[in-house]
Amino acid sequence: MQGPLSAWLVKHGLVHRSLGFDYQGIETLQIKSEDWHSIAVILYVYGYNYLRSQCAYDVAPGGLLASVYHLTRIESGIDQPEEVCIKVYVPRKNPRIPSIFWVWKSADFQERESYDMLGISYENHPRLKRILMPESWIGWPLRKDYIAPNFYEIQDAY
Amino acid sequence: MIVNMGPHHPSMHGVLRLIVTLDGEDVIDCEPILGYLHRGMEKIAENRTIIQYLPYVTRWDYLATMFTEAITVNGPEQLGNIQVPKRASYIRVIMLELSRIASHLLWLGPFMADIGAQTPFFYIFREREFIYDLFEAATERVEGVGVVDVKEVINWGLSGPMLRASGIQWDLRKVDNYECYEEFHWEVQWQKEGDSLARYLVRIGEMVESIKIIQQALEGLPGGPYENLEIRCFDREKEPEWNEFEYRFISKKSSPSFELPKQELYVRIEAPKGELGIFIIGDQNGFPWRWKIHPPGFINLQILPQLVKRMKLADIMTILGSIDIIMGEVDR
Repeated sequence: MQGPLSAWLVKHGLVHRSLGFDYQGIETLQIKSEDWHSIAVILYVYGYNYLRSQCAYDVAPGGLLASVYHLTRIESGIDQPEEVCIKVYVPRKNPRIPSIFWVWKSADFQERESYDMLGISYENHPRLKRILMPESWIGWPLRKDYIAPNFYEIQDAY
Repeated sequence: MIVNMGPHHPSMHGVLRLIVTLDGEDVIDCEPILGYLHRGMEKIAENRTIIQYLPYVTRWDYLATMFTEAITVNGPEQLGNIQVPKRASYIRVIMLELSRIASHLLWLGPFMADIGAQTPFFYIFREREFIYDLFEAATERVEGVGVVDVKEVINWGLSGPMLRASGIQWDLRKVDNYECYEEFHWEVQWQKEGDSLARYLVRIGEMVESIKIIQQALEGLPGGPYENLEIRCFDREKEPEWNEFEYRFISKKSSPSFELPKQELYVRIEAPKGELGIFIIGDQNGFPWRWKIHPPGFINLQILPQLVKRMKLADIMTILGSIDIIMGEVDR
């Protein structure tokens, strides 16, 4: 089922796929990685001026990685703001997504954190380096197939 | 018996090491060992002009800073026979005496604490605040420092008091209507200027509003149960029977756990520091598939390099304090 934003994008001929609504009724769209930068600018012009949260997660072990963006419009004193959730799926072997730092600056630290934890590299990000882990760390901790180095647990024999 | 009272003390005297010779409880001799905070101020002074040296002098006696600056200035004046105008002299005297009061107040607190009375330690800071206000009016510390424009604030994704201090009336308690905030009468605190003073005023105003909300909530507290006993959403794993292989006779019974449906959701709340959010993706068991924390301090910290450009070094602490971050949530 399509929401209003999805219908507007179809009217303007922009390639996307609608993923329905999430639990609270927020419209979710899937955008391809190559189109993401242009659609981000279009959404900014449409009125979504606040990147609320940028997150990334692992869809399935051995599967794709997803980068999720929550956008909303901030104005003084409104009730029920419009919100939309955009997902960009990338393959695990070569995860590259255009950075939207130049559209919404609040993606600065958040994209660095997604890079640090899952290895999705954002092109054209001004300083894409590890932010929470030490800079010489190897591996992407939040992937489901990550093995923590030197981690042993004592197990009781049954 | 020779005892070492090491460099760190429970009270605020700084780093001083004492080697004390004791005979039972009587003290025979005491040898102080200094030098733990030696920074080479005198050697540095030989290579700086007076104006360049002034920031160093405040670091000698850091509780009565005006005196150190006064003596740094008096020395060359008297050496060069420079006349000081009367008005300047009066102003200096006012600042110096205020600084003397501040220093004595800050002596009084730890002195009482050393003797055993802990409470005056806190009261002296309250008295010192009045003096700080006067110093601030003379040196203009908080106003106009760290100004953020409205469009910049939205673009950088800031939230909480930083957003409201730049002129946008956006408070998630009013916008999202969660919990039962719409039943109370309260106002969103906001200011227009966007500098540190505006953020300070927003936070003080929010404290007053919180008191109003608490009073209204206490008056209108409804009766009824406080647990929702109808929810039955337990974890799918069955407990093993008593004669199965997996049954544990000795360890404790695991409590029933809540099963998260296979949905995703972004919940948010107006924390004091900004918008705190959780993005949960549930799997059909008790553990979430992804639990992403959106901390306000992490997001608000992004704007720091832009705010401190073209400000003085001492303003960095003012700006950092007005952004109000706490490293626990920034780093997680």
